Amino acid sequence: MSLFKHIRQLNALQCLQAKRQYSPAALKSASLQYDKDPQPLFTDSETQRLLQSMTQLQLDKVFRQRTVPDNSSETKFMTTLQLEKQFVKTIEKAKHLLQMPPVVKIKQDTERIISKDPAMKDFATTKFVFTDITFGLRHSERKVVVRDVDGSLSYASLDTTKRMNQLYFPLEGRKSYTPRMFADEQLLQRCLDEHKYEFILDRLLVQYEPYETEFHNISARVYEHLNESKQFDLLRSTRHFGPMAFFYAWHSCIDDLLYDMIRNDYLHNAVELIALSYKIHQVPVDYKQTLSQLEQLQPTPAERAHAELLSCLKTKDELGIEQEIHQAIGKTEQDFTADELSLKFIEQYIGSEHSRKKVQLELALQTLKEVNLEKLQLYQGLKKAHGVQAS
Amino acid sequence: MLPIARGVFNSLTLMTRSSRGAIHTVSAHKCKAAAAESETVEEITDESVDEGKMSGSGAPDPKDRTKVIPVETSMRYLKSAAYKTTYGDSFVWTQYRRNHKGMFAPRKTRKTCIRQGKISTGNPCPICRDEYLVLDYRNTDLLQQFISPYSGQLLSYSKTGLCQKSHLRLMVAVEQARDCGLLTYDVPFREYDYSEYYGKQEKKQEQ
Repeated sequence: MSLFKHIRQLNALQCLQAKRQYSPAALKSASLQYDKDPQPLFTDSETQRLLQSMTQLQLDKVFRQRTVPDNSSETKFMTTLQLEKQFVKTIEKAKHLLQMPPVVKIKQDTERIISKDPAMKDFATTKFVFTDITFGLRHSERKVVVRDVDGSLSYASLDTTKRMNQLYFPLEGRKSYTPRMFADEQLLQRCLDEHKYEFILDRLLVQYEPYETEFHNISARVYEHLNESKQFDLLRSTRHFGPMAFFYAWHSCIDDLLYDMIRNDYLHNAVELIALSYKIHQVPVDYKQTLSQLEQLQPTPAERAHAELLSCLKTKDELGIEQEIHQAIGKTEQDFTADELSLKFIEQYIGSEHSRKKVQLELALQTLKEVNLEKLQLYQGLKKAHGVQAS
Repeated sequence: MLPIARGVFNSLTLMTRSSRGAIHTVSAHKCKAAAAESETVEEITDESVDEGKMSGSGAPDPKDRTKVIPVETSMRYLKSAAYKTTYGDSFVWTQYRRNHKGMFAPRKTRKTCIRQGKISTGNPCPICRDEYLVLDYRNTDLLQQFISPYSGQLLSYSKTGLCQKSHLRLMVAVEQARDCGLLTYDVPFREYDYSEYYGKQEKKQEQ
């Protein structure tokens, strides 16, 4: 029996050592980190608005079919009024699903001793952990204290607190051990190479708290890899797009994302991204005027999604000829004016010393301009042909 | 003319007698053997030749399952033409039917198809009947066939017909694959209470 015990202890030791070997690998990989507290800038209402607008709201993507045990759907008969109410609710729900995970700085673990009682020394051979399991407390408010072997009573470390919280109030999807995907360097690299960005980030949110070191390291790695592979469309209209854009703006490497936005003809997003980076780095360029003008011209993503939902109620005959032209070209007159504004702003950015991939961006901008010009001509021609008055 | 016809008939009856899976399985075995040779898995073929010499008989026993097939071979097999001719586009379990008396199948499938390194039944389960299907967490193509596209859960053995032992191995492999991130699944949504992360700091700043 004693031999068995011995072997088991040895095995446990080996496991511990293996774990320790893993952790520095994850630490080493992250090269970019928030050097100061990003919280005030991130929670700022203007930043939040910019990030939400950049994220966009594609209903197909937000409400995609999930492979979860309960994904039943309900069929109902509704009047038009009820349906419109339901649409509003749907948009609210979509906004909720796009809630961005908080960006906070790494929390340092501090040892806080409550009392030292030498009389309690060697009372037991192991530590005692006391947890307050009152119902309804938040995880951060829950008190966890540890009585050490040498008799001192202290607040538990962050790691212990998290484990105790998970023990008594488990978070769905969180594992009590580190998943091998995050522990093993090669497996994570493989996931990244297969472009499973959303899966990795989703799992990261569930497994770690936003203030943990691992959270920062792994998310930074994912964003860096994404910046190289340029598959930004995978994260667009998910909850991770905002923090990603914020990360790029913070570390001033927005050019690839900007290029992607210009190529996909999301010019207002590009303007917002540049404005965000100006804001973070406190560049003395007046961006607020352009932003407010753009806001007046273009609806927010939520409004756009709502309009899209409402448009299914209308039949084709109800749509005017003007609407039909809009649909065919994909742009309205307001969009064209907004594009002109944003093009001016982006050119100004490319001309400045902040952009690093000037040639590439200029080329993309030039192509877009030509396409836009063609569209504008077509739009005006169509309008003329149908005898719609220029407003 | 007559002797040739008799020869064909004899070979057919032999085939049906030797395995109840009939021509389907036999042809599959032949295909696999051909595939293994063509893919120049020299070590494996050498071993099989050695085994053949040891046992003394010419053809290897189709019911023998003592040979360990590496996962890499299985992964290659799932992408090969031999696999395609055997199963087509359907899953490995779709064509399988359980044998039972009466109208209703017993609630549970049999405990195991392989006893003492040999197939001990006439109708082995979809995994056990094909020795080149290896349940392992790296073999994601195979594991994917047993996961429901609607609920993301593992399909029941009442649907797939796996024996209990294979089903257990399958469950373990799927769990391992998810842990390693080789199989993706929909992670539950986590809702954040912003005040939990930001509320306290704002209070401090006010003070």
